[in-house]
Amino acid sequence: MRGNGLGKIFTPMGHPNRGYLWVLLACAVTTAIAAPLAQYLDLANIVMLFLLTVLLMAARFGRGPAVLAAFVSVALFDFFFVPPQLSFTVNDAQYLVTFSVMLAVALVTGQLTAGLRQQAEMASLKEQQTRALYEMARELAGALTSQQVSEIVQRFLQMEFDLDAVLLLPDENGNLQPIFVVPEGLRVEQQFALIAFEQGQPVEDYTLTGYGYGAGYFPLKAPVSVRGVLVFVPNSQNTQAVREHKPLLATLASLVAIAVERLHYAEVAQSTQLQVVSERLRSSILSALSHDLRTPLTALVGLADSLALSRPPLHAEALDMAEAIREQALRLSGLVGNLLDMARLHAGRIALRKEWQPLEEVIGASIQLLGRALVNHQIQVTLAKDMPLLEFDAVLIERVFCNLLENAAKYAPAGSLIEISGSLNGESVEVSVCDQGQGFPPDKLSALFEMFARGVPESATPGVGLGLAICRAIIEAHGGLIAATNRAAGGACVTFSLPMGTPPRIELELDLENRSSA
Amino acid sequence: MSEPSPSVVMVEDEKQIRRFVRAALEGEGCRVFEAENGKQGLIEAATRKPELVILDLGLPDLDGVEFIRDLRTWSTVPILILSARSTENDKIIALDAGADDYLTKPFGVGELLARVRALLRRQGKGNEANPLVTFGDVEVDLANRVVRRHGEVIRLTQIEYRLLGLLLASPGKVLTHRYLLREVWGPTFIESNHYLRIYVGHLRHKLEVDPAQPKHILTETGVGYRFQA
Repeated sequence: MRGNGLGKIFTPMGHPNRGYLWVLLACAVTTAIAAPLAQYLDLANIVMLFLLTVLLMAARFGRGPAVLAAFVSVALFDFFFVPPQLSFTVNDAQYLVTFSVMLAVALVTGQLTAGLRQQAEMASLKEQQTRALYEMARELAGALTSQQVSEIVQRFLQMEFDLDAVLLLPDENGNLQPIFVVPEGLRVEQQFALIAFEQGQPVEDYTLTGYGYGAGYFPLKAPVSVRGVLVFVPNSQNTQAVREHKPLLATLASLVAIAVERLHYAEVAQSTQLQVVSERLRSSILSALSHDLRTPLTALVGLADSLALSRPPLHAEALDMAEAIREQALRLSGLVGNLLDMARLHAGRIALRKEWQPLEEVIGASIQLLGRALVNHQIQVTLAKDMPLLEFDAVLIERVFCNLLENAAKYAPAGSLIEISGSLNGESVEVSVCDQGQGFPPDKLSALFEMFARGVPESATPGVGLGLAICRAIIEAHGGLIAATNRAAGGACVTFSLPMGTPPRIELELDLENRSSA
Repeated sequence: MSEPSPSVVMVEDEKQIRRFVRAALEGEGCRVFEAENGKQGLIEAATRKPELVILDLGLPDLDGVEFIRDLRTWSTVPILILSARSTENDKIIALDAGADDYLTKPFGVGELLARVRALLRRQGKGNEANPLVTFGDVEVDLANRVVRRHGEVIRLTQIEYRLLGLLLASPGKVLTHRYLLREVWGPTFIESNHYLRIYVGHLRHKLEVDPAQPKHILTETGVGYRFQA
């Protein structure tokens, strides 16, 4: 036996039979001591010496030897001390009473003493185990990796219980994997581990015997979920070891479960923090870029304006040039804006600031924002009367309308009509922006929403083809679809849908007139 | 007008922008005092007692919002923000801190002057509130709480009227969603943006020629609303 396991406590002299030999020897010694005293002492006092021997044997060696001591003492007393001596025959029948009482007293005191002794031993063993468990819990609390957890548990079990342990944790695919390679000779059945993991109940294979059998599979039930399986495997031939210590091992498993869960959440917190940091870095780079590009553009636009307004006024050609500088700078600014938007939209998850609002408002805002770019066109907005509130990010949807209106204004002839319409279509709202221009090239209708795609490559109309790609990214982030068509009557149409959802309840005030009854 | 020329303090770190803004403002008859950074800007604002402060949000030494909060502790001078930042949140924070209006870079001289004029006009008017406000074909008689359109009385609900009153009280100023919700519905409704949007929609349907293309009750997307006469 490697450890100082429980078995040792019950057989303190190593081999259990040794106790019986000691009993025989002790009884012999008692007889030897009592023999010369027999002439001075009453037989009743000789009985006391034998009872003392039984008591001592019981205290030292436990129940079995105590019983033996009781019988041997009675026999020796009869043989050597009760007349006729050196014979088991008894002259006086009253000695039979002496023998019975002596035997009874010897047996009872022996049993009581042995019981007390065993309880004391159990208590000190329990205390030792509890202290060891506490030590282990303290170590677990400081563990930084699941490898450390596994090591701590293995060390503890080998010291205290002569058991081996294998810690199984699920990998990314949910398959249970041992933290360390399972030592040669230990049989860990994946099947049993899986059952324990899925059912959250311990699984045991005590029915099988032999080295490496008698393992117990304990699920690691943490407060939030089952985190894995801890397998206890007996090291020795004692295949019942796991069963004997089941309550304690269950406690141990729950300690390990908490440690594993703590590690899990520490990991989650760390990766979240990393994500936040990289997100912040990305957004600060974009906003620095935006600032650095827009500052010179602002100066350019403003200075061109100043030129145009300078007094005395410039001559017509110079005025034209100042206006051209201004236009080009604004165009560049639009491109920069598109590129930055695209970078932001493609940088990962788009953080939508969704709010319930009427579509009408964002359409009005887009028209107002484009201002001068739309002066040459007429705009007509037709929305269904029962248009509900929709949940969307107003800034991004405004971007979509701006891009679509800008396209329409760019490609449709001056003075023509641009129509914006919205209608209900089942679970979603369908919105289209249509113009009276030449329409999209029919063979490129689906490719239009790709990045850097343009209806007419190298055309004189400015643009790099990011506008529609941005629209698609925004609409898809809202759970909608976007498509381009050509109208039968001529002209391009871009239609997108937005899911309707369930608008919040609105409690309108009673229609009281504001005027107080004066 | 024979008013004394208004003075403007401009806090902007980019020299070329200062240059054209100064030219534009001086063309309007303003006296312009420049500051390259926030600290200097605060000193200028304290010594010159300007009628208007123009502030770039991205200052090298001081966060623009800190500047506004500092200035607002001792002055009510209108503040016009110049912002190259693209997120609406920065604007909302600046407006809630006490700024009056903002311009997103790049902007033209025309837009700049329109905003400056509106802010100076409001400053000049001071407290003498005009009980009769007209815009488009609408006339609001604040003293008698009557709204007329084409001479006909328009019925407004209590909330609609309160909302209109707030907008009319600060023409040209961007009022954030938060501010309007708090003033009209009270602090418990600050998260209920959809109420505000619905009531603004009602006002537009009652007062605008084309509610989908409003000319007076304007949307500052993601930020708030602005009234323009």
